[in-house]
Amino acid sequence: MIKQSIAEAVLNEALKTGGDYSELFMQDSEFNTIQTVNGHVEQASYQRKAGAGVRVLKGTRCAYAYTADTSDEAIMETARAAAAAIDGVAEFETKSFEYRKGGAPYERRFGTVTNDERVALLREGSEAAKAYSDEITQVVGRYLDADHRIMVCNSNGIWAEDRRPRTRIFIQSVAMKDGVAQTGAASPGRGMGFEFYRGVDMKELGRKASKQAVTMLHAPECPAGAVPVVIESGFGGVILHEACVHGLEATSVGRGNSVFCGKLGQRIASPIVNAVDDGTLPGEWGSIAYDDEGTPSQRNLLIENGILKTYLVDLLGSRRMDGHPLTGSSRREDYTYAPTSRMTNTFFADGKDDPEEMIRTMGEGLFAAKMGGGSVNPLTGEFNFAVSEGYWVRDGKIISPVRGATLIGMGADVLMKIDRIGSGIVLEPGMCGSLSGSVPTNVGQPRIRVSEMTVGGKGGKL
Amino acid sequence: MLSFEEYKALAFEAATKKGCSAAEVYFTDGEQFSANVLGGQLDEYSVEHSFGLNLRVQFDGKDGYAYTEVLDDPEALVERAVDNARSSESPDVHPMQGKCEYEKVAPPETKVIKMSPAEKIAYAAELEKQFLASDPRAKRAQYSAIQTAKNTVRLHNTLGLEADTTRESAFAILGTILEQDGVLRDAFVVKEGDELLDKDAMIKEGIEKTVEQFGASPVPSGEYRVMIRNEAMASMLAAFSSMFSADSAQKGLSLLAGMEGKAIAAECVTLMDDPFYAENPRAFDAEGVPSVTKKVIENGVLTTLLHNLKTAAKAGVASTSNAGRSASGPVGVSPSNFFIKKGEASYEEMIKKLENGLIITDVSGLHAGLNPVSGDFSLIAKGLLVKDGEIVRSVDQITVAGNFITMMKAVTAVGADLKFGMPMGARVGSPSVIVEKLMVSGS
Repeated sequence: MIKQSIAEAVLNEALKTGGDYSELFMQDSEFNTIQTVNGHVEQASYQRKAGAGVRVLKGTRCAYAYTADTSDEAIMETARAAAAAIDGVAEFETKSFEYRKGGAPYERRFGTVTNDERVALLREGSEAAKAYSDEITQVVGRYLDADHRIMVCNSNGIWAEDRRPRTRIFIQSVAMKDGVAQTGAASPGRGMGFEFYRGVDMKELGRKASKQAVTMLHAPECPAGAVPVVIESGFGGVILHEACVHGLEATSVGRGNSVFCGKLGQRIASPIVNAVDDGTLPGEWGSIAYDDEGTPSQRNLLIENGILKTYLVDLLGSRRMDGHPLTGSSRREDYTYAPTSRMTNTFFADGKDDPEEMIRTMGEGLFAAKMGGGSVNPLTGEFNFAVSEGYWVRDGKIISPVRGATLIGMGADVLMKIDRIGSGIVLEPGMCGSLSGSVPTNVGQPRIRVSEMTVGGKGGKL
Repeated sequence: MLSFEEYKALAFEAATKKGCSAAEVYFTDGEQFSANVLGGQLDEYSVEHSFGLNLRVQFDGKDGYAYTEVLDDPEALVERAVDNARSSESPDVHPMQGKCEYEKVAPPETKVIKMSPAEKIAYAAELEKQFLASDPRAKRAQYSAIQTAKNTVRLHNTLGLEADTTRESAFAILGTILEQDGVLRDAFVVKEGDELLDKDAMIKEGIEKTVEQFGASPVPSGEYRVMIRNEAMASMLAAFSSMFSADSAQKGLSLLAGMEGKAIAAECVTLMDDPFYAENPRAFDAEGVPSVTKKVIENGVLTTLLHNLKTAAKAGVASTSNAGRSASGPVGVSPSNFFIKKGEASYEEMIKKLENGLIITDVSGLHAGLNPVSGDFSLIAKGLLVKDGEIVRSVDQITVAGNFITMMKAVTAVGADLKFGMPMGARVGSPSVIVEKLMVSGS
């Protein structure tokens, strides 16, 4: 993307005003998207996004400048714009580069895939979704592929290149009756080429989305109150993502804005809890070979038997946190953002508990079979997430589907209340929004139980 | 690299040669500056230059799009767009706006835009310093930032349309953290244009929004009479705004499909979509249609959905000038300045009117706990408990749940304190509203 000699000159230019670290990030990405309504193509589009960002650090001060113009002169000008924020004289020079090159599995390149092939997947999923029931009034399909080529080099002498293919398909079914509408969705995604779809049963996906919509259409409103909650494997791991790991990111910890500050080596969860953030899993949605500062991705054991072992830390975060080791967690949506500490593939590790027993012995409560997204305020630990498919349990037996439930609580509190963890981790993709934009992350877990959580909803009676 | 004019000319020529009946470019070019001062030092500083060209072609009656940030090869982009048009199976005609005259609009002038980078940094430093000195409980700021931007859009097509607009804007953000009895709470205040120069007002608002959260606990689960405060109501209205899109309605994704002329809200509710609203006026929408002001809900009755040229052609009506698009995306539907018309009662009078119930001051997780297709919501909330017309204590760790349409029908009063939410694309605003009952889940 850029000559080595030019990159070196850019990094030195950025250091001219006294910065102690400079970094050049370049990106060239291509995207293809298709949207269908009831299996018919509504919209197809192609996008190419390319640009460069220069970051300069001096201690914990950070200056960032970017441009969509990737000519050598424009990048040099961008380096000067970033350096303008620092007011001193040059003290450092760029070290000679050590090369690192990584990439995800990418057998079937998106450039070789035709729109017809993409559409065929959506059509197959949509037709199965529509055929599931007469109550399905609408099926929306979305397909996305992205081929990100990135390069990052810095004045510490690191030159890393990564290629990150990603693709995801999304089927949403709408069930409607008597002025009431409910939705169901299925949306697998991976960090690999088009070969991913060889292993995807589109018919099954469509049926899954419709089953959820129809089940929820006939479900009574969820009762409200504080009860035990069993959360199914898969996207249920969003509880770990929101209730805990956002609070372990250097973005909040480095500024003292997290309930988990100063808790390394201390108990923050019940002793059965082990939690991991692992960016090295081949072909997964949240995986990266190198992070956006050029640090190799790694497996981070966050919580071991309930004890906090590490935070997720980028370079700037490390400087704010007494030199906490880097964890390969520095990420950004694209060149328009400076990078910061983010998650990759985050999950509760397997436990030993029996998944059936968890429900049998829970008394009255909620079984959250499928979760939607959520959010958290790391300063206070207050989190929330939506239950997209829930079932009410009484006397240890599922008695009815329920709709409209939301789970809320305090992060520090809920981790202590996990009293069962099963086995069989399932990872599911999502998009996580934070300071450095929206990045692909997996959440996951085996089935778990929380002894008590506040369930919000319209307060149905069963 | 080619200039915009060169690229456009070559793209239009290539499109014509390929057999396209029309072609259009939507070119965005933006410059942005931001500075954040924390702990008395410049913490984050950024200078940005972005641009991109979104090409739309009409081929065999279908639309196709392709976007690039690299202005090197117009023919290749035309090829991509034509390919995408070939894939389209949409039976809908999407007319393209031809040459057109527009009303002149002038956004409010602001001194902030003329400030030098050094003056902006000094502003942010002063904002933080004054905040920390203003209250003994002020612990630190999470943001004390200023941002200025200049964004240009050039919408040109082969039918002779040449609509150009440049918009300058300035914002400041103050993120407060206060501590009381070992408990930390935070809040955000965003101000635009010259309003941000009144630092005292910003700090006062930030401190009030933080302090009112101390000493909070849940309330017992049950049905409550509720006042949804202006900012919380604005964020809910924004999250449900796609229900008013004719595109969503035509795709079977809105409960408001076919409801024009029917009562969908209480009589005291009038919902405006006003592109000329003085704070943020625009002369035309994202496909070059001249702006039109309308009452979307008039005294509770839905008068129109929001249309672009495509949805309008399908419904046999005129566009309501609500085409919207991101820099790189296709033409869709989006509100302009979208707000519930204010009533007469002040916030204090509204508290008296509420008499007994809950004020919802903040809702979160709207991307997850709210579904614009079903209209259902169940959201984590914070608030204030009101007894006999007086605020008695703070409330947290509760959810409020209901259905948007049911809620809009249950509105009994609309306040005078109209406020707009975070300025992201469309601007959505609301005064505080009293709702007869909503389900609250707590202790």
